[in-house]
Formats: sequence, C-alpha cells, structure tokens
Amino acid sequence: MKKLLLEYANTFAYTITGLVFGCAFFLLFINFYHMQELSETVDISAYNDTNKVSVESKLQTIKDNIGVYNQSTYRGSLNIYGLNNVQARMQNCVDMIESEDMMKYFELDELGIKDSYNFVVDYKNNILNDCLVMQIISMLNTDTVQSLTNYNVIFPFVEVNVNNLLDSVDYVQNNIENSDHYYFTTDSNKNNFFDLVEDSYSTTMNSYQDTLDLLVEISVWYRNIVLGG
Amino acid sequence: MKKIFNGLFYGLKFLLLIAAFALTLFIFIRMNMRLNKDIISVLPQFVPFLLLLTLFIINMIFRQEGVTKCLFYNLTCCLVLTTIVLVSLRAILDTNMVLNGKYGYGIDFNFYDNFLAYIDIMLYGLVLSNILFMFKEKVKLKSDINNESKNLKNA
Repeated sequence: MKKLLLEYANTFAYTITGLVFGCAFFLLFINFYHMQELSETVDISAYNDTNKVSVESKLQTIKDNIGVYNQSTYRGSLNIYGLNNVQARMQNCVDMIESEDMMKYFELDELGIKDSYNFVVDYKNNILNDCLVMQIISMLNTDTVQSLTNYNVIFPFVEVNVNNLLDSVDYVQNNIENSDHYYFTTDSNKNNFFDLVEDSYSTTMNSYQDTLDLLVEISVWYRNIVLGG
Repeated sequence: MKKIFNGLFYGLKFLLLIAAFALTLFIFIRMNMRLNKDIISVLPQFVPFLLLLTLFIINMIFRQEGVTKCLFYNLTCCLVLTTIVLVSLRAILDTNMVLNGKYGYGIDFNFYDNFLAYIDIMLYGLVLSNILFMFKEKVKLKSDINNESKNLKNA
C-alpha cells in the first residue's frame, strides 16, 4: 500500500513537473517571439516621400492663402484685428508643422514601433493640441474673428472636423501602449488585422493629412474673405 | 551523456535561482519606491524563491538522488528560472516596449505584472514536485536493496 502511494506520488511529481515545463516553455518562447515582433522595422521610404510632397504642397497652399492679406496695404471693410488674428494663428500652425519635431518623421527610411508611438504622441501634442485647439479653436472663439464674413459657415465645419480629429488617433496610441501586454499574437493576425508598426503610422499619417486639409480649407475661407471684402 | 547534462543543469539551477531572485528583488524594490509602500507588503512574493532554495540545499546536503539525479526536474528548474530571468531583464532593458520609457521608471511594471501569477504557479509547482520526488529515492533504494539481497541469495 505504502509502495503504491509512493508510486502515485512519483507519478504526480512528474505530472506537475511536466505541466510546469510546458508553462515555462510556452512563456519563454512567446517572450522571444514578442521581443522579435516589437523590434520589427518597416521600410517606409517611398511612403514617406509621397507624404512629404503632399504635406509641402498643402503647406505652400496655406502660406499662399494667408499671404494675400497685408495690414499696411489692405483697404477692405473687414475688421483688421480679426484678419490679423487669423493670419497670425495660421502662421503659428504652419510653423509648428514645419518644425524639426514634426518634419523629422519624413526623413525616416525605416520605422520601428517606438517611432510610430513617438509620431502619434508628437502629432497629438504639436498638431492636435497646440495647433488645432490652442490656435484654431481659440481663434474662432474671439470676438474679432466672429465678426468676419461667413464665420457662421466656417465655424461649425471646423468644430465638427476638429472634434473628429482629436479622437482619431487615441486608439492607435492605446494599441501601442498595450503592445507590452500583447504576447498572444500571430503573423496572420498582423497581416489581416492591424500591424502595430505600419498601420499605426499610416493611420496617424492619414489623420495628419486630414488636419492639413482642414487648415487648407480655413486658409481658403480666409483668402476668399480678404479678396472679397 | 545524461550525467553530464544532469550535472550541468544541477549547477545551473543554483546560479539561475540567485539571478532570478536578485532581479525580482530589484524590480519589487523599485516598484515599492514608486508606490511608497513598505517592502514587507511584497514579502509573500519571495516565499517560493526561499522555499525552493531551502529545498535545493536540503537535496544537496542529504544527497537526495530522487531529485538531484532527475534530469527532467533539473531541466524544468532551469527552464522556469531562465524564463523568470528573461522576463525580468525584458522588463528592465527592452526599450521597444513603449511604457518602459513613457513613465520614466526604467522598468516596465505593466509587462512584468503579466507574468507574476505564472511565476508563482511555476515556482510553487517546482516546490511541490521537489517534495514529491524526495520519496522516489526511498522507494528506489528499497528496491535496490531487495535486488542486491536476491542476487546474493542466488550466488
């Protein structure tokens, strides 16, 4: 009886060791896979070149549009404080977009997950918060700008777009932050669903381009009211 | 060949246990500093390490061959402790995990937290199987003695 119990104990010991072995084996190799996945880089040189051309073109359009107004030569009837305000705020936005902090991403040939993350964070801080909220929304809330022509048309348009843009990349940032816990992944998941490195970057870039489109629209409105008034 | 591997894993498990314990201690001290908590509150986390070390020392002193000569057990010990060391090192050094740098603590606690339950399960599993393997020796020794006496009778 005693021998039988001891044999059972031995079998039980092997079973537990086997289960622990399986668990450790799984965790060890899933860690290697996760480590390799997070260190992955993607070639984005062609994608960046295209986007850089598009950004520079849009920036030039904005600069041209806000450049039509000159306080010393303006002879129209619109409130010059309002026009000055819009021009200065738009110029601030252009300066932020053209800053080294934002343009450095267009120089990247290879992209890692950390670059994608930094791009989202810098985009949210410099473009969404500092430009759209601090400059454009606060500009549209000033009395002098509210007195400008077609304000009632441009304000709701900008407000809706800014609200959409503000939330547009939150999930990208959260996804990358959660990648630290993301160790049950597969290649098929990455290929078919969401590649954290490449798709995060392209999603942020799309939102970035949408922001520039919105700024172009505002600058077109500005140009029209300056030339029309 | 089996003896060489067994000897290798047997020696390695002591080194890995020390490394795993040191890294776990370092991470917990840093985590407690961040939370301003007393180190006593995390002492239960070190119990399986201390139990395992005690058992390893008992195995060594009393020459419990049921454990010390079990290649599978020694290999599993090395695998478990290597996993703990790897997870701890990744939590400290893998800067591709963005939360490692974001909060500026130098350790990715979010990542490490994921593995705490697994670490406990694996270590307690090793403790339990070590205790059970201790009885194997007695069974085997008795059977060896019986075989020897039979051989003597036959002679």
